[in-house]
Amino acid sequence: MRYMLLLCMTLMTTVLPLQAADLTARQIMERADDRDDGDNGVSDMVMTLIDKNGNKRARKIRNYTKDKGKDKQRIMFFMMPADVKDTGFLTYDYDEYSKDDDQWLYLPALGKSKRIASSDKSGSFMGSDFNYSDMTSKNLDAYDFRILNEKKVRGAKTWMIEAIPKTKEEIEETGYTKSVLFVRQDNYMIVRGVLWVNEGGRIKYMDSQKIELIDGIWFATKRTMTTKKNKKTQHKTELNFYNVKFNQALDQEMFSLRRLEKGL
Amino acid sequence: MDIELRQKIEDGFEHFAHLIYCNHWKVLFLVFILVIGLASQLSRLTMDTSTEGFLHADDPAMTAYDRFRNQFGRDGVLVVAVTAADVFDLEFLARLKQLHEELRDNVPYLDDITSLINARNTRGEASTLIVEDLLEQWPEDAHALAAVKQRAISNPLYRDLLLSGDTTTTVIVIKTDVYSSIGVETEEVMDGFDDVFEGDMEVASVEREFITDAENNELVDAVHRIAERYNGPDFQVRIGGGPEVMYMLKQTMQTNMTRFIRLALATIAVALFIMFRRISGVVLPLLVVILSLVSTLSVMAIAGIAFKLPTQILPSFLMAVGVGASVHVLAIFFSHLQQGNGKEESIVYAMRHSGLAIVMTSLTTAAGLASFAGAEVAPISDLGILASSGVLISLFFTILLLPALLSVIPLKAKRSVSAGRRHERMDRMAIGIANFATSRYKLVLALSSIILVIGILGAMQVRFSHEPYKWMPESMSVRQAGDFLDQKMGGASMVEVIVDTGKENGLYNPKIIKGLERLKHEVEQIKDGPLIIGKTLSVVDIIKETNRALNENRQAFYTVPDNHALIAQEFLLFENSGSDDLEDFVDSQFSKARFTIKMPWTDSIYLDRLSVDLEKRFHQQLGHDVEITVTGINALLGRTMTATIYSMTRSYVIAVVVITLMMILLMGDLRMGLISMIPNLIPIILTVGVMGWLDLPMDLFTILIGSIAIGLAVDDTIHFMYNFRRYYGETGDVADAVRHTLLTSGRAMLVTSIVLCIGFCIYMFSILTNLFNFGLLTGFSIAMALLADFFLAPALMTLIYKLDAAAVKE
Repeated sequence: MRYMLLLCMTLMTTVLPLQAADLTARQIMERADDRDDGDNGVSDMVMTLIDKNGNKRARKIRNYTKDKGKDKQRIMFFMMPADVKDTGFLTYDYDEYSKDDDQWLYLPALGKSKRIASSDKSGSFMGSDFNYSDMTSKNLDAYDFRILNEKKVRGAKTWMIEAIPKTKEEIEETGYTKSVLFVRQDNYMIVRGVLWVNEGGRIKYMDSQKIELIDGIWFATKRTMTTKKNKKTQHKTELNFYNVKFNQALDQEMFSLRRLEKGL
Repeated sequence: MDIELRQKIEDGFEHFAHLIYCNHWKVLFLVFILVIGLASQLSRLTMDTSTEGFLHADDPAMTAYDRFRNQFGRDGVLVVAVTAADVFDLEFLARLKQLHEELRDNVPYLDDITSLINARNTRGEASTLIVEDLLEQWPEDAHALAAVKQRAISNPLYRDLLLSGDTTTTVIVIKTDVYSSIGVETEEVMDGFDDVFEGDMEVASVEREFITDAENNELVDAVHRIAERYNGPDFQVRIGGGPEVMYMLKQTMQTNMTRFIRLALATIAVALFIMFRRISGVVLPLLVVILSLVSTLSVMAIAGIAFKLPTQILPSFLMAVGVGASVHVLAIFFSHLQQGNGKEESIVYAMRHSGLAIVMTSLTTAAGLASFAGAEVAPISDLGILASSGVLISLFFTILLLPALLSVIPLKAKRSVSAGRRHERMDRMAIGIANFATSRYKLVLALSSIILVIGILGAMQVRFSHEPYKWMPESMSVRQAGDFLDQKMGGASMVEVIVDTGKENGLYNPKIIKGLERLKHEVEQIKDGPLIIGKTLSVVDIIKETNRALNENRQAFYTVPDNHALIAQEFLLFENSGSDDLEDFVDSQFSKARFTIKMPWTDSIYLDRLSVDLEKRFHQQLGHDVEITVTGINALLGRTMTATIYSMTRSYVIAVVVITLMMILLMGDLRMGLISMIPNLIPIILTVGVMGWLDLPMDLFTILIGSIAIGLAVDDTIHFMYNFRRYYGETGDVADAVRHTLLTSGRAMLVTSIVLCIGFCIYMFSILTNLFNFGLLTGFSIAMALLADFFLAPALMTLIYKLDAAAVKE
C-alpha cells in the first residue's frame, strides 16, 4: 500500500507535469514551422500603411502561392493604386537555408523584368513594417528557444517563447536581436510577436488580429505590425486578406517570368 | 521731482532705517529663511546650448522646424570622420566596421547610423538589379577590394557625404532621436500590444518633448568614449556636427561660468578693500551680492529657465552690477562714522542720503535690462527678465539686509594717518577735475563734440554677424574637426527645404521631380560672399540611382524619367528594395519632399538671405501651387540673426525712452532730464563707433552692450545730478556744487565704475572669443560713462547755468 502511494506520488510529480508542458520550446517551434499553412493559395491583400500622424495609404495586391516541395513560390500583382497597377513580384523562397531567395520584379512602365539580388531579409516588405524575414520561415537551428510563460491571447492559450539568435549573422540578416513569440497551444499558430530591432532601439509588435479556418487551414486574415520607439508608435501596417482560397488549380506556369510580364 | 516730495521720501528712508535698526535680528532671520527656501530649488537649474534654444518655442521659424523634425527627424547629425592614407584598405575597413558596430550597439538615443559599412548600393548588372549594402559581401582580397572602391567612387551619393574626394577620409553619420526618452518608464514591453489591437492607432495623442540637451550630451559623451579608443595614426578620428558643437559649447560654458564667478568675486573683494580698508567693507557687500545672486538663480530654477549661451554672463554680471548700491550706502555710512557719529545715526544718515539715489539707479539699470524682455531671441529675453529681476532683488537685499547687518556687527571709527593722506590725494584729484571741467567747459564740450562725430561715423560702418560656431577658438578640437569637415567634406551644417505638393502622390509628377533635379544643379552653384553650398540631397538622387540601376547601370540613365507611372513604379521598387532611406526624403503620402542642403558653417547674416533666395528659386522651378518651407539648423541661425537685429533696435529704443522719462521724473524738469541723457548716450555711441572702426561685429553679445551700458552709465549720472542739485540748492554756485558732488559721491562713482569695468573685462578671459569683445566693449563704455560724468556733465551744467544767468540778466 505504501509502495502504491509512493508510485502514485511519483507519477503525479513526474508524468502529469510532463503532459502540461510536454514539449520543449524547440519542439513547439518545430510544430509551428511544420504547421500546414496551405498550398495553391489565392488571396487579395489590402496593405494599409499608417504613419505616425495617422495618415493612411492603401495598396491592393493579388497574391498567389504554391509549395514546390519544401520551397515556397509566390507571385504578387499590384491592383491599386493605378500608378503601379500590374507591377509584379515573383519570389522563390527556398527551404534550404543557405540558399538566397530568388526574386524578380516587373515594372510595366519600364516594360521589362529584372532579377533582384539581395541576401538581406531585414529590409522592409513593400514599404511596410513587415520585413522579408517576417514573411518567410525561420531557420530554427539559428536560435535558442526558451518558454517564458503561458498567456491567453484573445481567449486562446499560448506559449510565450523567447527566440535569441545564436549568431551575429542571423541578427544582421533578420534585423532582430531578440523576439518573443506567442504560439497558440491548439493549432501552433504564431499569433503575436514582439521583435527587437537591432538598430535605433525600436520594437515591433506583430499581431494576428483575426484568424479564420479556411479550407481547413488556419489563416490570419487580419495582421498588423506596429513599430514603436520609446512606446511611441512610429509606423504601422495593416494587412487584410480577402477572397482567400486554398487548393486552387495553380500550375507552375503561374509562377514564371512570362506570367510576371503578362500581368494579371 | 520737487523738493517737498524728495524731503518726504528721504524722511521715509530715515524712518525705515530706524525700524530696521530696532528689529535687526528679525530682519536677518526672515531674509535668511527666505534665501534658504529659494536656494533649495537651485538643483533644478539646467543648461541648453542648442541652436533651437535661441528662439522662442512659438516663433514661426521654430514651429516650422518642429513640423520638419516631426516628419523627417533631427537634421543635426553627429559626424565621426576617420582619416587614413587610403580608406580602401582591408585592415582599415575592418576597424571601421568594428567602430560602426560598437557605436550602433552602445550609443544611447541613436536613431540611425550610416557609413560605408552599410551604405546603400543599388546597381544594375545585365538583367539583374542588385540591392545591397556596399560592404555586405566583405572583400577578402585585393581584387574584391578594388571592386568595392570602384563602386564607392562612382556613386555620386557617397561623395562628400560618406567619402572625401581623395578617399582619405570616410564618415560615420549618426542620426539622433528626435524625441526625448524622458517619461518613458521601463515597464513591461509586452504591454505595447494593448493599444495596438484596441481599434485604430491613437493619432499622436501624446505630445512628446524633443530630445533634451542633457540627452544630447549623454549621446555625444558615449560617441567620444568609443571613438577615442579607436583613434590612432592610421585611424585618425574627428568628431563634428551640430550635436558635437552643442556639447562643446556646453562644456566651455560651464568652465566659463565658474571662471567668471571666481574672477568677479576676487575683483569685487579687492576693489572693496581698496576703497574701505575694512573687512566689514568687503564682507557685507559681498554677502548682499551673493544672497541676491542665489535668490535670482533660484527664481530662474523655479521658472524652469535654462542657462543658454548669452545667459552665462548672468551670475558675474549681477555681482558686478549689484554691488554698486552697497558701495554708495557704505561710502556715506563710513564717512559719517569716521566723522565721529554713532552707528545708528550713521546708518540712518546713509540711508536718508543714498536711499532714493540707489532706488533710482537700480530702477534705471533694471529698465535698461528689461528692455530685452520682449526680444524674439529667447535667451536675450531671458537675460532681460532675469537680470532686471536680479537687480531689483539685489536692491531689496541692499536696503533691507545691509542696514540690519551694520546694526549687528560692532563698528568704530578708524584712526589712520594713511587713510587720511589717501583721502587727501583723492580729494585733490576730485577738486582738480571739478575745477577743470567747470572753468574750461568750452574745451570739454568741443572735445566731446569731436569725439561724438567720430563715434557716429564709426557707428555707421558697424556690421552684423552671428556665427556661434566661430565663437569657439581654433584650438578647440570641435573647431578643428568642423574646419576639417568644411574643407574636406563640404561642411556638416544643414538647410532644409520642404516642398509640399498638398496632394497624395504629388511627387509622382515628373514636373516636380524634374524641377527638383534642376534645383539640385542650381542650388549647388549658389555663392554669396563666404557662403558656399557643399552638396544637396533629395528624392531625386534616389530616383536617378534606381533608374540607372534598372537600365543596366548605364550612366546615360542617371536621370529622372519623364513618365509619371515609371516614377511611381520606381518609388515602389525602391520601397520594396528593403531600404528605409526613402522616409528620410519624402513623407509617407508622397506629398512632401525634403531637399537637404549641406554646407560649411557660415555667418548667419548670409543664411537668412539664403532662405529668402531659396524660396524664390523653388517657386520659380516648381510653380506657385506648391508650398515651400525653408528650415533646418541654418535657417534657425539666420532667423536668430534677423530676430537679434530687430529685437536690438526695439530694445535700444525702449531703454532710451524709459530711462529718459525716469531722468525727467527724477530731475523734475524736462530740460534737465533731457540734458542729463547727453553724458549717457555719448559713451554708447562711442562704443558702437569703436566697433565700426575696429571692425568688431555686432553679434548676439555685443548687441547687448547698448542697453546694458545705458542702464549702468545713467547710475553715475543720477548720483552726480542728484547731489549736484542738492549742493547747488545750498550754495547757488555751479563750480562749488560740482566740487562738493565729486568730493562726496565721486569716490563711490569711481569705485563702482571700476568694479563694473573690471567686472565686464572678466569676460575677456572667456574661452569663447565673442565674449572677449563683449567684455572689452562694455568695460570701455562704462569707463567712458564715468569720464562723461566727471567732465562732460559738469561742463554741461556750467554752460546751462551760464546761459540761464545771461537770460535772466537780459
